[in-house]
Amino acid sequence: MALTEQDIEQITRVFRESGWDEMRLKVGGATLLLSTDPDNVDGGFSSARSDTPPAPVSTKPATTPAPASPPQPVEGLLVRAPNLGTFWRRPKPGAPAYIEIGATVDEDTEVCLIEVMKLFTPIKAGSKGRIVEVLVEDGEMVEFDQPLFRLDPLD
Amino acid sequence: MGTLARVFVANRGEIAVRVIEACHAEGIETVLGVSEADREGRGAELAERAICVGPAAAQASYLNPGALVMAAKGTGCDALHPGYGFLAENAGFARACAENGILFIGPRPETIEQLGDKIAARRVAAEAGVPLMPGSEAVGSVDEAVARADAMGYPVVIKAAAGGGGRGMFVATDADAIRGCFEKASAEAAAAFNDGTLYMERFIANARHIEVQVLADDHGNAVHLGERDCSAQRRYQKVVEEAPAPVLPDAARARLHEAALQLVRHIGYRNAGTVEFLYNMDRGKPCFIEMNARIQVEHPVTEMVTGIDIVREQLRIAGGAPLSFAQADVVLRGHAIECRINAESPGRDFAPSPGRVTTWRPPAGEGLRLDSHIREGDLVPPFYDSMIGKLIAYAPTRAEALARLGAALDDFAVEGIETNIAFQRALLAHPDFVRGGVSVRWLESVLMLAVNAQEG
Repeated sequence: MALTEQDIEQITRVFRESGWDEMRLKVGGATLLLSTDPDNVDGGFSSARSDTPPAPVSTKPATTPAPASPPQPVEGLLVRAPNLGTFWRRPKPGAPAYIEIGATVDEDTEVCLIEVMKLFTPIKAGSKGRIVEVLVEDGEMVEFDQPLFRLDPLD
Repeated sequence: MGTLARVFVANRGEIAVRVIEACHAEGIETVLGVSEADREGRGAELAERAICVGPAAAQASYLNPGALVMAAKGTGCDALHPGYGFLAENAGFARACAENGILFIGPRPETIEQLGDKIAARRVAAEAGVPLMPGSEAVGSVDEAVARADAMGYPVVIKAAAGGGGRGMFVATDADAIRGCFEKASAEAAAAFNDGTLYMERFIANARHIEVQVLADDHGNAVHLGERDCSAQRRYQKVVEEAPAPVLPDAARARLHEAALQLVRHIGYRNAGTVEFLYNMDRGKPCFIEMNARIQVEHPVTEMVTGIDIVREQLRIAGGAPLSFAQADVVLRGHAIECRINAESPGRDFAPSPGRVTTWRPPAGEGLRLDSHIREGDLVPPFYDSMIGKLIAYAPTRAEALARLGAALDDFAVEGIETNIAFQRALLAHPDFVRGGVSVRWLESVLMLAVNAQEG
């Protein structure tokens, strides 16, 4: 299965949340290297190439975080998708986004829409906080329970 | 239409695994839609990708057409396999797939609709010249039901028009019995199928459940793959299935096959399907019950005796290919018997027994096949059907297949949950079953008495 741009974004997110230092993923002819070390430009590829091929890695993004990795403490709060659907940051095309990074929200603040077959449901933040990260691209399909926003909690 | 490249599997459990493996054998990628409870399952491990379509409750995941179609589209699938159960025979779901450019691996939506309405199905079966049980159209009231039954003769069975699986089904031996159960049957049917419409058929106590497997493509080719006997049933749920049907006269067998093909040709059926009959043991005559427009749980016994992979054929048919073989190429050899292995407690009236499977050591050997999604350490979740696998034995003769399956059940070690394995062992060993040709009432009457007596 060829990697799509979406796949790479999701894999990157999984990697970010994993606490790993490095991840090398080979799918078909393409190799994806993710590393926390900014100096790792080569990624050890030259040495890896002479080795046996890397162990096959599942390309399942976000569905199952590798069970081997210990649970990471979540920094901040997450707003999660209540159902599978398309993530929309604006109430309609051309309109301003529901929420931008840095904005403060409370439990009832609407932060996005999830669309399932032309049915649009506004999603509320569910807790008080400041938006620090938007984890999904506008128009991307999200799975059930997928994190959408990261919040810094506010009392 | 070209061949399929990526198939979305909209099911769980053993059938999800079966479909994924068939896709891989055809060189097709798979995406599995999982509920939150199945994220870590064997199917999710085998598929190229798994995507969580909803929470554990089936209503919000495996029975959620919007989420499933959306997930299929969003992951770039060109087709969807519905498995059995859940949305496999939901015409609206098949239509939603088509509207979103996803090929539904099954019959056309109109066919699903026609066969799903059991009264309409009786009508087309009659048109096709298929022998029918004497019965009625929809009965709107208790008084109408009594009048019809008086004319038809008792006993009668009251059934849900939208039904299946025994829900909304009652047997009545006289007018008072109809008055006693009519409202309840209608309420049960309405609760289960959103449609309380009822109809009636003459009830035959001394009957066997015999069904014919068919395959039909989009090019007008239709073949049958012989019959299966699924008479060992408890509460209208099949427990053991075998192919071919034992102790059946050749003429009756041929008549069943021909009747099934008459119906399939008449409605222009496409996909794998099963035409179900009740075989009247007193008169040696089959009567049509219904046609199931999907792959069935018990398809492996037919695969074992024909050597044809029915799921792979479904994929090829959906891809637009003509059937790769003709009726004359279908040769039935040997005998196959399947036991459904359930996480349930026969000692507690077959109550479901979900939990962690701490030991899972299935038997293996010549002529044995296990279709299952269970790995040691897996959790059998409490949200779904209790079937955890199907053990199938194949041998040149029925007696050898029975012996092989019995020995295999003895070797099947499962711990952590209760199963029906010992019950299945007792069933296979019962002299009536060994002789073959038991009726649909046999398990609940004769076998249960014998099993309870042994335990008491």
